[in-house]
Amino acid sequence: MDLSIEVEEGTIFGLVGPNGSGKTTTLKLLLGLIYPTAGTGTVFDLPLGSPEYKRRIGFLPEGPYFYDHLNAVELLAFYGGLFGMSGAALHERIEQLLHMVGMWDRREIRVRNYSRGMLQRIGLAQALINDPDLIFLDEPTAGLDPPAQMEMRRLMVDLRNQGKTVFLCSHLLKDMEPICDSVAILARGVVRRQGSIRELLGGESGRFRLRVAGGNGLSLESLRDRSLDLKIEGEEITMLFANQQQALAAAQEIANNGGTILELGAQTRSLEDVFIEAVAAGGEE
Amino acid sequence: MQAIYRVAVATFHEAWRRRFLNAILVFAVLIIGSSWTLTYLQPGAELKLLIDIGLGSIRFFGMLIAVFLGVRLISDEIEKRTIHTILTKPVTRAQFLLGKFFGSLATVLSNIALMGIAFYVVFAYKGSKFMAQGSSEASASGTPGISTDFIYANIAKAIGLSFVEMTVLTAVSVMASTLFSWIIAAIFSFFVYFVGQAADFFKSLANPARGTGFGGQLVFNFIYGIIPHFEVFDMREAIIKGTYVGWDTLGMHVGLGLVYATLIMLVAFLAFMNREV
Repeated sequence: MDLSIEVEEGTIFGLVGPNGSGKTTTLKLLLGLIYPTAGTGTVFDLPLGSPEYKRRIGFLPEGPYFYDHLNAVELLAFYGGLFGMSGAALHERIEQLLHMVGMWDRREIRVRNYSRGMLQRIGLAQALINDPDLIFLDEPTAGLDPPAQMEMRRLMVDLRNQGKTVFLCSHLLKDMEPICDSVAILARGVVRRQGSIRELLGGESGRFRLRVAGGNGLSLESLRDRSLDLKIEGEEITMLFANQQQALAAAQEIANNGGTILELGAQTRSLEDVFIEAVAAGGEE
Repeated sequence: MQAIYRVAVATFHEAWRRRFLNAILVFAVLIIGSSWTLTYLQPGAELKLLIDIGLGSIRFFGMLIAVFLGVRLISDEIEKRTIHTILTKPVTRAQFLLGKFFGSLATVLSNIALMGIAFYVVFAYKGSKFMAQGSSEASASGTPGISTDFIYANIAKAIGLSFVEMTVLTAVSVMASTLFSWIIAAIFSFFVYFVGQAADFFKSLANPARGTGFGGQLVFNFIYGIIPHFEVFDMREAIIKGTYVGWDTLGMHVGLGLVYATLIMLVAFLAFMNREV
């Protein structure tokens, strides 16, 4: 089975897929934690799992576990030591990272006493200890409260702004949509859709959505004939038009009949919609 | 080397924080220390008892520490997924395994060293008294007393061989940890250790003179050939008899232990290379 994923440097890339789609296996392969049963893989033209490759990557696992008898400084010193870092350079890097993830004031607390949010923060810090070019994050916002989720998203965007490539693996699509530059949707081990967020969400563009309330004397039959879809919920009518002109004409007609325009705009799809379509299409094959 | 050292140090520090291990060590030192209360029995008997309790405790509690530490070494890392953040750094599986092994070994050996010191302290006080009383009574009655020649050197050599024995057992436990869950690994390690104590028994079972059939000979010879011969690391009898244990014999046993440990770690490496983490 061929699995090709294109990730541009300096972007946030999201790998999404339902449970059992092969996300974790793909991630483990990319991290060199498991070996391919056949074939080879390369990143930066380096073999997956090679020490040279590992020097250029960072990894934050889902629900990270660490040696819990260590405090934040000791933990980062341990991971830094695995890269051969030591002395003033290591301590400077540790201080920089602890400030970055907001753990400097809590650096003496032992890992066993950490909250979930603190674990994610220190997990991100250890993933960045070697100043990697490519950072893999597995479900980085899962289990976090809303402020912590927002903070984690901010950190990911900061990393991209620093020129890092962020490889996100998650099923929390609402978290990924606002920050990902591109996404691949994986189902049953196959990439179903892949592209920039704009490409994926902009499919079938040109459709317009009109939501109105009230309006006496409106011809519902006429509106139904002109629209692609029409739904009535209480006082509200929601319609979908093939283009902007039709939508504007309908809006004008409704306004002339005393109706209120609640919403008029291009129909947008969420990543969730695209995801469900892609996975369903995969299931039909 | 840097990666092996870092993993070993982390393993050593983590191991020393395990409460069960601290409890075993305290208990062992208490047992060894309790021989301080031994009263005078008859020429030779109390010295034998002192050595049996001391060296026997070091071997027994050393075995418990080596097994219970070793069998959780890899399986815990996989279960808790701490291994993921380590193997994604520039650390090969071989380096990780060796680091865990050496960290565990350092813990086991430092525990044995502490038990050895406790035994030496007790022996220096109580043993010298028993030896003095034993030799004066033996000469008065005209009976041969226990030979105290080379006794201090032999005790040091015996503790040294316990180091080697526990190195082999730690390797067995680590290997088992790469293959099985920790409970199965513990059962396997104890089985290997106790069967290894009786390796010569299997050799004698394979003797056709005992009426063993061809199939039985194959099985017993196979067990004898494959099982580490742990009984060679027990020097208690030589100490009690006052037999001089030469450096050549000692070197041979140390060499044998290192060969065992190397081969076992090779199997562990092969198993770990193919294990999904």
